[in-house]
Amino acid sequence: MTAPATPGATPADGRTTGHIRRERTRAVILTGLAIWAVLPLALLLLVSLSGGWRFPTLLGVDPGLGSWPDLAGGSLVRATLTSLGLGVATGVSAAVMGLVIGRGLARTAGWRRVAGAMLSFLPVAVPPIVLGVGLQFSFLSLGLGGTFVGVWLAHLVPATGYATLYFMGVFTAWNFGIEEAARRLGATRVQTIRRVVVPLLRRPLAEAALLGFLVSWAQVPLTLVLGQGRIRSLTVEVLTLVEAGQDGLAAAGSILLVVPPILLMGVAVWGVREAEVVVA
Amino acid sequence: MRQRSGSLLPGVLVAAPVFVGVVYTLGAAVGIWGAGAGGAPDFTRLARVARSEVVVEGALWSLWVGIITTLVSALIAAGLALIFRTSDRLGRWGRTLAVLPLPVPHLVGAVAALLILGQSGFLARIAFALGWIGGPADMTVLVYDRAGIGMITALLWKEVPFLFLVASSVLSTRGEALEATARRLGAGRWETLRRITWPTLWRGMLPACVAVFTFVVGSWEVAALLAPSDPLALPLLTFERYVDSDLSRRPDAFVLALLGTAIAAAAVAAHECAIRWSRAR
Repeated sequence: MTAPATPGATPADGRTTGHIRRERTRAVILTGLAIWAVLPLALLLLVSLSGGWRFPTLLGVDPGLGSWPDLAGGSLVRATLTSLGLGVATGVSAAVMGLVIGRGLARTAGWRRVAGAMLSFLPVAVPPIVLGVGLQFSFLSLGLGGTFVGVWLAHLVPATGYATLYFMGVFTAWNFGIEEAARRLGATRVQTIRRVVVPLLRRPLAEAALLGFLVSWAQVPLTLVLGQGRIRSLTVEVLTLVEAGQDGLAAAGSILLVVPPILLMGVAVWGVREAEVVVA
Repeated sequence: MRQRSGSLLPGVLVAAPVFVGVVYTLGAAVGIWGAGAGGAPDFTRLARVARSEVVVEGALWSLWVGIITTLVSALIAAGLALIFRTSDRLGRWGRTLAVLPLPVPHLVGAVAALLILGQSGFLARIAFALGWIGGPADMTVLVYDRAGIGMITALLWKEVPFLFLVASSVLSTRGEALEATARRLGAGRWETLRRITWPTLWRGMLPACVAVFTFVVGSWEVAALLAPSDPLALPLLTFERYVDSDLSRRPDAFVLALLGTAIAAAAVAAHECAIRWSRAR
């Protein structure tokens, strides 16, 4: 069915010329958006599989899978495990601390609430390099410089800030009457937290842990300054490879950096959809 | 039901590491402790570093990148949120693609930008294949450039998805009801967009824009891979002085860290003001 020649006239399918033109424009924009969003990731994958990617090669995949066989037993695998350990430790601890602190701040009002929100935002807003420079002396004095625990504690600072802000939002909409009802029915404080509060907070806790994990996973300057070169996270390793001109390995490392966050986001979105199905 | 006004202690606990860092940074910057410290406060280093040409240029360059990235990413995000707000197939695909880069670390975006925009990058290879350039040296400089094109592009790839999420949330929670009312009162499409949708959108996005600006100005890894060496971005300048082999220059890093903290503190205040102002409208 073709569109009528007269602008604004309605063809048999109900669409005007203007509507058709808008849809075509949206389709063109969508195509551009797809290239914009996917090209960088696709190129990283191709370069990691290229086995060199020397100029002027445009696209080319090495049958031996390029840089990927070099990963086995190499520094990238060790760095990935270090980053996973840091991410999980930071995510879990930030979620717990954020829950406690965010709940406390959400129950404030007036100028205390404003000040609390600003204090929580400060670790998020301060540039990590500034935070690292300021904390290194303290960490060295405590014997934490260049240690896994030191880097974990450093990552915990901005991660707890994010988690606190998140839980302030959760507890702003929270119905504290549920806890009061449990207490009136005879539950102790511990029983109320264990059997009423925590089950209701399972999803927010998981999301906060995911947030903390992502903050730690992507962290570079704090790991560099407080890890003192001894703690090699995946981000630090990829940075080193880029600066050394090893594009193939750097691209493979970048793909490794992308996989856990996308997987975890997929799980989080799937979890939300399952919850919506149950509620429906 | 919220109970009585509680304590600020939890908030102080969260910010405590920042305060510890600021106290040490302040003392090191004025020479009370640290490398080359005389024990007594000396503000000449503070004044000298703050006035030095390389610091002023670096700070201005970082602010330039922050402002341009924030403005352009906000405009793109708002536009995409308006174009793909429908529930049809185009709308669903648009929303999915718009947020795809969101979980990707900034470092990955910077590496990809280097591979695409570099002198021997993907664009240079396409230009060579089309016969537009004779080799990498003929390619237009898009990374390590004074205009910050490469760094801004990489940051746009990451910040547009975040601001798109915010814009979409503002449109769905606040915009639709107001637009419907305007249409019922006889407003046309463009008048609704100009007088209802756009003001609602930018006011709702303002706190997130302040957060994006703050992050971009303090971003180290993207600057490390894509920023020029002259002027040197503020985070890079801080790190360079901190690891300087000349120990007498290392305290300069603390002065620069104080500058970074002051920018962050101003951003926190601006963020809070933006939230209160957007809620009041």
